Amino acid sequence: MFGLALRSLRHRTGAFAASFLAMFLGSAIIMAFASMLDTAQASGATGTARETLSIMANVVGGWGLLLSVFAVASTLTLAVRQRAQEIALLKSVGATPAQLRRMITGEAAGLAVLAALLGIVPAMLLGRGLLGLLHGTDQVPSDIGYSFGPVALSMGIGITLVSAVAAAMITARRTTRVRVAESMADAAVGDGRMSRKRIVFAVLFLVAAGWEALITVTVMDGKGSDAMATSGQADILAAIGLALLSPVIMRGATAVAAGPLRALGSAGELAAATMRRRTSALASAVTPVILFVGTAVGTLFLQATENAAMDDAGLAKTAEQKSIETLNFVVIGMVVLFTAIMLVNTLIAAIAHRRREFGQTRLAGATPGQVLAAVGLESAVLTVTGVLCGTVASVFTIVPFGLARRDSATPDGSVWTYVAVVALAAVLTGVTAHGAARRAVRVPAVEAALR
Amino acid sequence: MFGRKGPDPAGQATGEALRLEGVRKVYGTDGNRVVALDGVSLSLPAGSFTAVMGPSGSGKSTLLQCAAGLDSPTEGRVLVDGAELTGENETELTKFRRQRIGFVFQQFNLLPTLNVMQNVVLPLKLAGRKVDRELAREVLGRVGLAERLGHLPAELSGGQQQRVAIARALVTRPHVLFADEPTGALDTRSARDVLGLLQESVHMSGQTVVMVTHDPVAASFANAVLYLADGRIVGHQSAPTAEAVAERMTHLAEEVERQRTMAEA
Repeated sequence: MFGLALRSLRHRTGAFAASFLAMFLGSAIIMAFASMLDTAQASGATGTARETLSIMANVVGGWGLLLSVFAVASTLTLAVRQRAQEIALLKSVGATPAQLRRMITGEAAGLAVLAALLGIVPAMLLGRGLLGLLHGTDQVPSDIGYSFGPVALSMGIGITLVSAVAAAMITARRTTRVRVAESMADAAVGDGRMSRKRIVFAVLFLVAAGWEALITVTVMDGKGSDAMATSGQADILAAIGLALLSPVIMRGATAVAAGPLRALGSAGELAAATMRRRTSALASAVTPVILFVGTAVGTLFLQATENAAMDDAGLAKTAEQKSIETLNFVVIGMVVLFTAIMLVNTLIAAIAHRRREFGQTRLAGATPGQVLAAVGLESAVLTVTGVLCGTVASVFTIVPFGLARRDSATPDGSVWTYVAVVALAAVLTGVTAHGAARRAVRVPAVEAALR
Repeated sequence: MFGRKGPDPAGQATGEALRLEGVRKVYGTDGNRVVALDGVSLSLPAGSFTAVMGPSGSGKSTLLQCAAGLDSPTEGRVLVDGAELTGENETELTKFRRQRIGFVFQQFNLLPTLNVMQNVVLPLKLAGRKVDRELAREVLGRVGLAERLGHLPAELSGGQQQRVAIARALVTRPHVLFADEPTGALDTRSARDVLGLLQESVHMSGQTVVMVTHDPVAASFANAVLYLADGRIVGHQSAPTAEAVAERMTHLAEEVERQRTMAEA
């Protein structure tokens, strides 16, 4: 089965591109931060410098790990689900579920090793840049030189491999368990009903976010920058909770949007009618938007409030505060990167999946322009919903921290920061959806409808 | 049965519904050319029901796609109800089709996310025309689906889906209805229902129907059969019976060969 896995990797590079990218970036980031531990070890750094280096490695590396596992799992799930037909074919010629699982995990493992090895050189450059940043802000003395060693290598390759295999095993189990006929019908039309497990997890995450917010305004009130420790994660927890609820949220959003969409003419009617039946596909597309907006807005305004509080007090930042600021921006950078991969990948896969539907719509009399307009309207609804939910999630961080730090519920910082985050989300969604839909309508309608 | 309300679309009742003049379709580039249609000319009167038959690869589907404006011929002209089918791009071709042409396909091609009623009125909505729900309901009633308006295609049998597709094609009152193997995916009984509906639309309201098929029984529902081989029309038969069509199909290759020898002599 491993031989088949390698063959299928070689002939389907497109399908695995997103998973590969997520693994590659993930391993590069993990190795870059883990190399801070190598650096601390090799240079014999002591005191604050050593602490800063290990905080960098552990905190940011930890976030990187979480994000890359999430991104790898989401991209891999799609890559496997798109092959439902191929898997059905293999089953029909006698492949057992265990053989299929070995094939899917084998593919993921091969991909992970390759991605991690290719990630080494960029990781070294990235790690060097990171240390340079720490030197530049005087958080680490400049006589501490960079080194890339066993910790970085073993963590990078090990974590990438383990997370890829784990994600593949979960996906494979789900894919191979369903019967052939079901798996074909499954993806086509989902009504967005949610499993009980999903609801329980959503509630747990939201409760945890609420709890962090509560702790921030009670226990951490007046404790200065330390309030960041509890409020910093609340937005991410809330964003994950809302993302888990996204099927319900999208169902509500499409119901609300249906009226205004219908008023926009035939493309709007088309969008309104199809969205109603596609809430689960829309839910997986809105997830990265919620995560992106929630964490980016939350963290950026958290830092802005902190900076304003320091200015008010007329204090200069300590090395620790500076490194927290660096950490915050690095985390945002990673979140943007990985959610962007997930968003682009999910949208492209979802739209490529609808090529036949677009062909049928065109045969029923839609011009390519009408199809593109309907897709555009769908992504507008998607963006607005994602931005609203993300903003709600960010409030879990911003407001409690503002209250604890400055006794003000309104955050500091420019409204343009918010506009920029929203614009980035909108552009990413809009451009990707439009590009993928254009490609889908370039195929002659009859051909597209037949396949 | 499929009575039209108000005045007929221009020229519907009289004269010529479809005309092809020297239509050629060549696929591929210089090194690797395939001539799918080799100078096809034909004229079909309004209110006729014509079956196009031929072996696999004879150009049946290409003929239908060129005549229906789904593909542009390499050479020659196509006129639907006197209007030439021209269009620089897909948008213009789509607008032409919307006004004059209806389709029924082997694979039904109903939108899986829309229910029966929504599927039927979709072409009207896309064309920005007034949606006459009464008419849609009436047509759906005629095809026997009055009770199924809110169902999704996946909840219907193949025969029912094809009847929805016919209702969708008829509700726009096209000048010509093209059907590409409309019974290819159906059991014999549903196939007969579907063919009966097509026949009824011709007899009762003067609909023009062009149907591509390889099934002699399906062809026998038509008023006339055109035989196609190697991209050319090689024969014509009026008032066909299934037996006569099957007989002629069996000997089509010999007939083509004989015609070629005669032409060369």
